[in-house]
Amino acid sequence: MRRIAVIFAGQLLLWLIMAELNHLLTGTRVYLFVAALYVVHGAMLQPWRAGFTASLLAGLLCDSTSPVVFGTHLVLFAAAHVAVFHLRDRLPREDVAGNVVVMLLVNLGLFIVFSFTQVHHSPAPGAAWLRLAVDLLCSQVFIALVTPWFFALQARALVLAQVERENFA
Amino acid sequence: MPTKRFDQARPFLTLGLVVAVWLLLPVVLKTFARASFFELTAPVTIAASRIRDLQEFWSLRLHSKSELIEAGRDLARLNSSYEMAVQQNAELRTEIARLENVLRLPSFQEYRYEHARVARRDFSGWWQRIVIRKGRNFGIPVGAPVVFTGGVVGRVSEVHLTTSVVDLISNPGVRLAGVIEGDPLGRPISFQGGVNPTFAPPTGIVEFVPLDIIATPQSPKRLVTSGLGGVFPPGLSLGTITKAELGSDGLFKSGEIKLDERLGSVSEVTVLVPLTPGTD
Repeated sequence: MRRIAVIFAGQLLLWLIMAELNHLLTGTRVYLFVAALYVVHGAMLQPWRAGFTASLLAGLLCDSTSPVVFGTHLVLFAAAHVAVFHLRDRLPREDVAGNVVVMLLVNLGLFIVFSFTQVHHSPAPGAAWLRLAVDLLCSQVFIALVTPWFFALQARALVLAQVERENFA
Repeated sequence: MPTKRFDQARPFLTLGLVVAVWLLLPVVLKTFARASFFELTAPVTIAASRIRDLQEFWSLRLHSKSELIEAGRDLARLNSSYEMAVQQNAELRTEIARLENVLRLPSFQEYRYEHARVARRDFSGWWQRIVIRKGRNFGIPVGAPVVFTGGVVGRVSEVHLTTSVVDLISNPGVRLAGVIEGDPLGRPISFQGGVNPTFAPPTGIVEFVPLDIIATPQSPKRLVTSGLGGVFPPGLSLGTITKAELGSDGLFKSGEIKLDERLGSVSEVTVLVPLTPGTD
């Protein structure tokens, strides 16, 4: 239970940072989409139950603050979590570069699926894809930069909360 | 061996179970969960917004006294011109009331002005909305129009305890009726929020533009609210039509409208709360 609370607290902090960052970027009309950050850490490094529950909670958090059908993020995050968890024994879990690559691939997949669920609202979907492509590019660059920090933050928080031992951090 | 197979399949079974439970869950519980999670984040959003205000306050304190004196002088000039406008406004209101009585016309909707700070702006390629720092605690209703110095901001789409969510006019889901400023016939034109390209001002789409309206980037036409539908009062600025081309049906034109660039940095808005007869 404490593990889930600690992971969710980290996700809440991430949500706050992203909300502030996107608030500041509104003048430039750039939007950073970092859904993979909510999922990949739990799926790659955490036990099944704690990681999956944290992903579901993060999905509900994102759903409640977005004008989408309630449950869209929940189902997407759950599906992404299951896919990564299923493959995690074959992925380089202890390698930072490997984690970043997995994060980028998961974010790409989530972005494309999420865009297909939303783009039909646009009066000109063809033109909307250009904007989405720029957002995706910026998001991927941002994710590549912050993934090591976010993994370290979650690991350190778990150690401070005495959920994990120091050598795992 | 079967145990190992089950362990491998367990995540997929759990996923299927989660999806099934979610689909079968009553709407009441989903609505409750949504409201609960939103209210969980509301204090965080408001706290961050207040910290930004404090930051702005301290940065403003760094201004020199001479700068403040200059700003005060400019404000005094503005105030004097606004006082004149207020007097004219009062005269015009009296005249409107007199004409309504003489001609037995239904009176315009009255509004209470509720000023609110913007706590969070959320502009993506999929949606465009802001969260303001007033909600049910200030009697904000769903659907209330929201304006700022540049014209229409949008419409309140969700109301929570201490915050409200406003869908901007640049949001693709927002549609309303407008008229060309100065059009003597007051012909309604359909406005819809559109694509918001990166590093460029927000835009919208206009449809059912009469054939005699010519709008180009060199001679744009200003679009204002029509007052039809009863949500927005008439005459509020929506943007400028910079392109109008003949539509596929040949009966009307369709085009592009450029919205106010300040929408991207809006920090203070006014909610027009409709007054029902008999309330102040």
